[in-house]
Amino acid sequence: MSYNLWFGNFNGDVEPSNNLKRSFKSAKNNSPIPFNISELGMKVLGGDYYNLLRKTAIEVAEERVEKELKSDDKYVIALVKALEELEEAINTLKEKKEDLEVVRETEVIGEFIEGISSLEKLKSKVEKEIEAVMERIAPNLVEIASPKIGAKLIERFGSLENLAKAPASKIQIIGAERSLYKALARLRKGKEAKMPKHGIIFMHGFVRNLPKSKRGKMARFLAAKISIASKIDFFRGELEEGLYESLKNRYEELRRT
Amino acid sequence: MRNVKFFGSIPATRSKFGSHYGEKIFELEGELYREWTPWRSKLSAMLMKNYKVEFLGNEKILYLGAASGTTVSHLADIVDEGFIYAVEYSAKPFKKLLELAKNRQNIIPIFGDASKPWEYSGIVEKVDLLYQDISQRNQVEILKMNSDFFLKKKGRILMMVKAKSVDSTLESSEVFSKVLEELYKKFFILSTDTLEPYHKDHIFVYGVKD
Repeated sequence: MSYNLWFGNFNGDVEPSNNLKRSFKSAKNNSPIPFNISELGMKVLGGDYYNLLRKTAIEVAEERVEKELKSDDKYVIALVKALEELEEAINTLKEKKEDLEVVRETEVIGEFIEGISSLEKLKSKVEKEIEAVMERIAPNLVEIASPKIGAKLIERFGSLENLAKAPASKIQIIGAERSLYKALARLRKGKEAKMPKHGIIFMHGFVRNLPKSKRGKMARFLAAKISIASKIDFFRGELEEGLYESLKNRYEELRRT
Repeated sequence: MRNVKFFGSIPATRSKFGSHYGEKIFELEGELYREWTPWRSKLSAMLMKNYKVEFLGNEKILYLGAASGTTVSHLADIVDEGFIYAVEYSAKPFKKLLELAKNRQNIIPIFGDASKPWEYSGIVEKVDLLYQDISQRNQVEILKMNSDFFLKKKGRILMMVKAKSVDSTLESSEVFSKVLEELYKKFFILSTDTLEPYHKDHIFVYGVKD
């Protein structure tokens, strides 16, 4: 058996690494190592073992963190766009398949079904990836808004930073711009107008599950909490206990009254 | 607990280092102590509830879910002759953790995913204590995997569980009994309790690898 250790390779003997950063990055093994690597390492590196380990760990982590901080929300945005395209493609294909079914029974239909199911698999993969990345970069947003809505908001605002700096009122209606401008135009002409109450955040269960008359209140509250969540995510990045609690309480309150 | 003193009702750890996250510094007999409030750290909440976790000071610890290093900083005070492997996968809090690791000598920061222990299997040695504070659905499974990879025989686990993260559809008590049932298979449980009133809907589980 050969093992990849941060200070070199082991298969009976240690072949010391000549580049600790590189061997640290590739110190992966499929199964647990049956001996204690620090004991072996001290034989190779002597009393300097922990010093070198710590130094290498810090250097590697520093590089990776910087890289990730730069590219994470771009990655989410690209994933959301890909997801939207996939959803649309799946819908279109399903429609076309039904059109075909009406006209003629043909083997082509079977191929359509296959194609659709493989796209659906891809779609669920993309969704899982969005969840995983969102969990890392915006845990509070995930908790308050769900990974999907959170990711869509980041996509719409262009970055987590922009979302964190946006006013809650904008978060509340983003995704409903068309009806907003329509309403504003009517108001300008002195006519009565219905302002949109929610855009993307309408997908949230707490908004959707309430009767129409209460959705506006819930949407406003939710948008305010999303605003706070995204600020914590952007500036601190750690989960804040109790944020979800107040959202749920408000929902229960609106549901009862 | 080693290197811990109470100042009034609040615990603090003896430290050669300054404040990490804005905590107060106390002085006693020429030595400095960092305030360790139960509201910020679940391990401190355990102390406040009179549960004992003993340390010799030279333990090797694998800490999953280190976040920005609040609890890690106090643990590093406690095991001042040991080492802590601190794993965290979220970049922003990790930056703060890095600052801490640079100041101290006994923290080895690993920017990695605790659910993939094989990815850091050639870095982390066999440890005496596996500490886990991550809010993920499969956190029991993650604990077990890491225990298989790194925890010594008779090594201890200390796990913080948040009911809502494991299953948001069940009652907290149901979630907790499910988690414990899973853990009994592999660990001998020394103590477990809620962390109320300091952390809502959380329990800790302290055990030994069978």
